[in-house]
Amino acid sequence: MDIIQMKNVSFSYQQDQPVLDGINLNIKKGEWVTILGHNGSGKSTLSKLLIGLLKPSQGEIIIDNITLSRETVHEARKHIGIVFQNPDNQFVGVTVRDDIAFGLENLQVPRNEMVERIDKYAHKVHMAEYLNKEPHNLSGGQKQRVAIAGILAMQTDIIIFDEATSMLDPKGRRMILDYMSQLNKEGVTIITITHDMKEAVLSDRIVVLKKGKIIKVDKAKSVLKDQETLEKSNLELLLPLKVLNYLEKENIDNEKVRSYLWELSLTR
Amino acid sequence: MGIKFNKVDFKYQGNDNKAYLALSNITLNIKDTGEFITLIGETGSGKTTLVQHMNALLTPLSGSVDIFGVKINRENVKKKKVKLNPIRQQVGLVFQFPEYQLFEETVQKDIIFGPKNFGVDEATAIERAKEVIKVVGLDESYLQRSPFNLSGGEKKRVSIAGILAMEPDILILDEPTSGLDPLGRNALLDVFYDIHKKLNKTIIIITHDMNTVYEYAKRVLVMRDSYLVYDGDPIHLFTNKNIDNWNLDVPDLLNLIHKLEEDLGIQLPTQPRNEQELFEQLKVVLS
Repeated sequence: MDIIQMKNVSFSYQQDQPVLDGINLNIKKGEWVTILGHNGSGKSTLSKLLIGLLKPSQGEIIIDNITLSRETVHEARKHIGIVFQNPDNQFVGVTVRDDIAFGLENLQVPRNEMVERIDKYAHKVHMAEYLNKEPHNLSGGQKQRVAIAGILAMQTDIIIFDEATSMLDPKGRRMILDYMSQLNKEGVTIITITHDMKEAVLSDRIVVLKKGKIIKVDKAKSVLKDQETLEKSNLELLLPLKVLNYLEKENIDNEKVRSYLWELSLTR
Repeated sequence: MGIKFNKVDFKYQGNDNKAYLALSNITLNIKDTGEFITLIGETGSGKTTLVQHMNALLTPLSGSVDIFGVKINRENVKKKKVKLNPIRQQVGLVFQFPEYQLFEETVQKDIIFGPKNFGVDEATAIERAKEVIKVVGLDESYLQRSPFNLSGGEKKRVSIAGILAMEPDILILDEPTSGLDPLGRNALLDVFYDIHKKLNKTIIIITHDMNTVYEYAKRVLVMRDSYLVYDGDPIHLFTNKNIDNWNLDVPDLLNLIHKLEEDLGIQLPTQPRNEQELFEQLKVVLS
């Protein structure tokens, strides 16, 4: 079943300058899809369209059988949540608890259940001991974990990670990647927006955007080694694959080394 | 001359009214020319606080910082014995997300704002703008454009040009490449390396990207819980036995070299510092 359908979706802030142009994309329930693209390719606009923060200039978006419109966007947000790039831009509450509660209040979740969910998901992201702390005193990684707890508490079927790891230190980044994997195993549909190939390698499918158009959609394994497509959108091959290409170019025919490099590029 | 930290402590007040140590007993010398330094460490380890002491935006709680011969400590700053303006010109600090600080109608106006503030006349400042816009890899046509219609990477370059136009001796950049795509990141790093090479300026970059550290830096500073725990070259850093406690990643290049050696028994003649060196050595070993 397709949990997300984008049908011929275009968007422009100014007339004749489309940021997204004729996007057709279906995402299956439980799938993990990476959206890759250069700065300004339209990646973040795409995520804002999916959560109904922006309205397509043309075309149609269907989330969990709900066609997005001004009337349905509230309903649709019960199904799709987003974690943004800058952890400082997504806090509204005085305490971590308030922050996780915010989304639940919007959903009008009964009080007892709210308390239960906050507790459960704060534990899940290992932030339970911080529930009464002020969010702005937390580290970047901790803030992102609170943001994730807030989304998890809403129990949406789809979570978008919009460059959610790009501002974190290595430890913070590893932790968020672990949550993504875990959630996906539990059946959550994941969309990651990134230019980090190490993040992309974890997903099932990769969509490559360039100047507002999809230039490639394929299994992650196929896109990873597609040097031409990646370079077109300012991206880099993973190092083992760069070495692999170099050995091929130099006609160094060592099968053992080649297959080792390929395996290595697929493991985190 | 340069910058000399002498047993510097700094604390900041938390919201619970407790004081937290942000810098503990920092002693450090930075030369005024020819250094290429990366400053790394976990979020909250004190990196940004450290660089804010380098151009006297912050004053040590105890100890002192000598900046181009001017001694910054509590007493001197309190009694207004030191002039801070020349220091701000000599040590240029580019904040994280400098693109948020662009505000003029044109790129040129934004670039000349800093130098004019330091008493440079308009004609000279415009001449400088024409030079520095090229240094950061953009052409002169950008000077008449609005900064708000530029891409993220271009905005970053314009803000860096604005600092360069003040002709600082030391240039400090707080996470200048975060959020950029790989091509944009490499292009910007090459700009910094060029400034360092051609103008022999000291560059200090705060980063979380260990590949940048390994491939570009001559010297690495590691902060951990307000302490400076490492001051040395990148090669020895990544073989240091404490590295696991510092929550750093291993650079891709080193990771691959270790794996090839462990799993396939491939020994390279020397330790490659960049991709090209790795390719060439592998070619020799495997042919």
